[in-house]
Amino acid sequence: MAVPVQAGDLVRIVLQHRDPFAAAAVYNVATAGQRQALEEVIVGERRNALMFARWEHTPGGVLQAMAGSGDQAVKMRLDKNPGTPGQALSHLYSSEKQATLIGLIAQHAHTPANVLEAIAAFESDLKILKAVSSNPAASVRAIRLLVTRMPGQFDSAVATNPATPADVLEQIYARGNAFIRAAIVAHASCPLSVLDRACGEHEINVLRQVARDQRVDAEVLATLAGHADVAIRRGVAANPAAPDALIGMLAKDDAVSVRRTVAARNFLTPATVMCLSQDADHWVRQWLGRYPLLPKIMLRQLAQDSEMIVRRAVARNPASSAQLLKKLAADSEAWVRSAVAYQVNATPSLLRWLAEDTEVDVLCGVASHPRTPQHILQRLTQSPDADVRRGVILNRSAKRRVLWPLLQDPYYLHRMLLIGNPALSEKDRWGLRDDPDKAVRFAVFKWFSDRFAQGEKIH
Amino acid sequence: MKILVTVKQVAALDEDFEFRSDEKDVDEDFLIYDLNEWDDYSVEEAMKIKEASDGAVEVVVVSVGPDRVDESLRKCLAKGADRAIRVWDDAMDGSDSVAIGRILAAVIKKEAPDMVFAGVQSSDHSHGSTGISTAAYLDWPHAAVVSDLKYSPGSATAIIRRELEGGLSHEVEIACPAVLTIQLGINKPRYASLRGIKQAAAKPIEEVSLADIGLSAEEVGADSALSRVRRMYVPEKGRAAMIEGTPAEQATRLIEIMREFKGE
Repeated sequence: MAVPVQAGDLVRIVLQHRDPFAAAAVYNVATAGQRQALEEVIVGERRNALMFARWEHTPGGVLQAMAGSGDQAVKMRLDKNPGTPGQALSHLYSSEKQATLIGLIAQHAHTPANVLEAIAAFESDLKILKAVSSNPAASVRAIRLLVTRMPGQFDSAVATNPATPADVLEQIYARGNAFIRAAIVAHASCPLSVLDRACGEHEINVLRQVARDQRVDAEVLATLAGHADVAIRRGVAANPAAPDALIGMLAKDDAVSVRRTVAARNFLTPATVMCLSQDADHWVRQWLGRYPLLPKIMLRQLAQDSEMIVRRAVARNPASSAQLLKKLAADSEAWVRSAVAYQVNATPSLLRWLAEDTEVDVLCGVASHPRTPQHILQRLTQSPDADVRRGVILNRSAKRRVLWPLLQDPYYLHRMLLIGNPALSEKDRWGLRDDPDKAVRFAVFKWFSDRFAQGEKIH
Repeated sequence: MKILVTVKQVAALDEDFEFRSDEKDVDEDFLIYDLNEWDDYSVEEAMKIKEASDGAVEVVVVSVGPDRVDESLRKCLAKGADRAIRVWDDAMDGSDSVAIGRILAAVIKKEAPDMVFAGVQSSDHSHGSTGISTAAYLDWPHAAVVSDLKYSPGSATAIIRRELEGGLSHEVEIACPAVLTIQLGINKPRYASLRGIKQAAAKPIEEVSLADIGLSAEEVGADSALSRVRRMYVPEKGRAAMIEGTPAEQATRLIEIMREFKGE
């Protein structure tokens, strides 16, 4: 069968074969008349309707069409499906009487702001209203409505909702307990006035959040760096605004978790690097091993560390030289050699050498590396290990002749992944249209459907 | 030489479902059918023996159930089984695991295999008794929860390892023919190749009736079952509670609960 060149051909083929998965995939590019016929194929049987209402890949248009269903079980699945579009949820809410289902709509990420506002204004069930107060899709108006209607009732949820505006945060900070105040300080919209008040607090939970805030001045951070609570000191260690001198001090902290946080920072002074390189905790040295600005001499030192995870960190570091990688590629631990195989700086000759390894973790890295020669990739497509073959499939440099045999891979997920691979031709993809696996068939028809929807021509 | 593998098409449930009007099972519209996971391992074990053997080994899969069961049998054929047999008669509806054992034993007597594999249990009903009741009707040796098998086609005995409680293992020599119920993890089941799937689609599935295996309607089905379902229901929820509050508040409460349990 020839590759379809326009949406009409694609839909006609689907209607001829009546595969529900292919029908769902092409629904968005079908005409109004064709859609009715497709709906019969997709949801003609109740078990199919239930399945598509729940399936995470069901296209929005199909879910929208199903929103008119009178079947409560179907409606519940639509309310729960993360892919259900806002228009469908709006339609479902307009006729919904059951509190459980309204609650599901109230917490759905796609529910339109006006629907959430209506729920906030008119519903009385506390569970439903709490769902709105926690929903990041809620508008400022909806949140204000809730705070005004039931002051204090939803403060925990409102304090953590990213949609809450600064003035509401300020309002509830004044009455909130330590946990609520801490959540408000951690909020992206926390106003400076609240932060200033929080700096003067003694509550540990609040100070833990203050310590992480980049707007806090150096003097306050210096005080917090000496606090008895480890999590507060860790907060300072993670704060990008903390002065280098303070970080140098925290690099010698008694608590390993503080030193680990220091080692994970984006910038370290040479003195701090030196201090951390001598740390007794191997997780500290591991974080340092991944530091992209680490001097070459330090990389060489850590490459000889007795702990495997430290050597692996060096193998992952983009600053590691080809010479160092060559040494690490001969490491006795497969997990270290694997890191070399995934390294962006690994040379084709090093990858050729690693391709002779017997460990699957190493071979997976070689298979997915864009610098691996094509003839080696070709050999790895024959690997009995599915993870290695998947590495080749995900390799953005793999050529069509390498990938082509994998269209027959026994693992359905591999065939599905190949459908979106730009190295393959339309004809290659179309060859999977009658695949035994429904998810693969869906992916094939969806790929063509999406191209037609974008107005692309199929050659 | 022949290995017979008994398989079952099991039903999986979505999180929300409805019961049938008689309240004895879930409404079929809410069930998703697939080959029982344990049986996938049984088929693989049979295939491993077949592929390692110098002589001819035939792998036959057998299932009891209506037309839809063909899909699971074809999955086994696609993985390399030589023949598939489906046994069904409307009179078999309502059979319990002991009645199913009687039916399978009748097929096995007719097929006369050298070894029978079954899954330890099915993922839907979890009786764990079909394989053993089959062995009882055959009056053959049997071993349950087999996690390793050393068996050469034609041998009079097999060496098996069984999983016991507390991480113990049991190494047993068993006389053949025998019925072994196979445990998960004994091998790594293969994916069927596309070629295998296409070939399986063209292979016939032998349909066997009650008369073909010499049983009467009175010997199978709900009336002959030793147990029957009175009702199926969702038990009342236990002591689960939602921990409310901000993430820090929830974490603090969780730590309190853990400390309470530890008696601190």
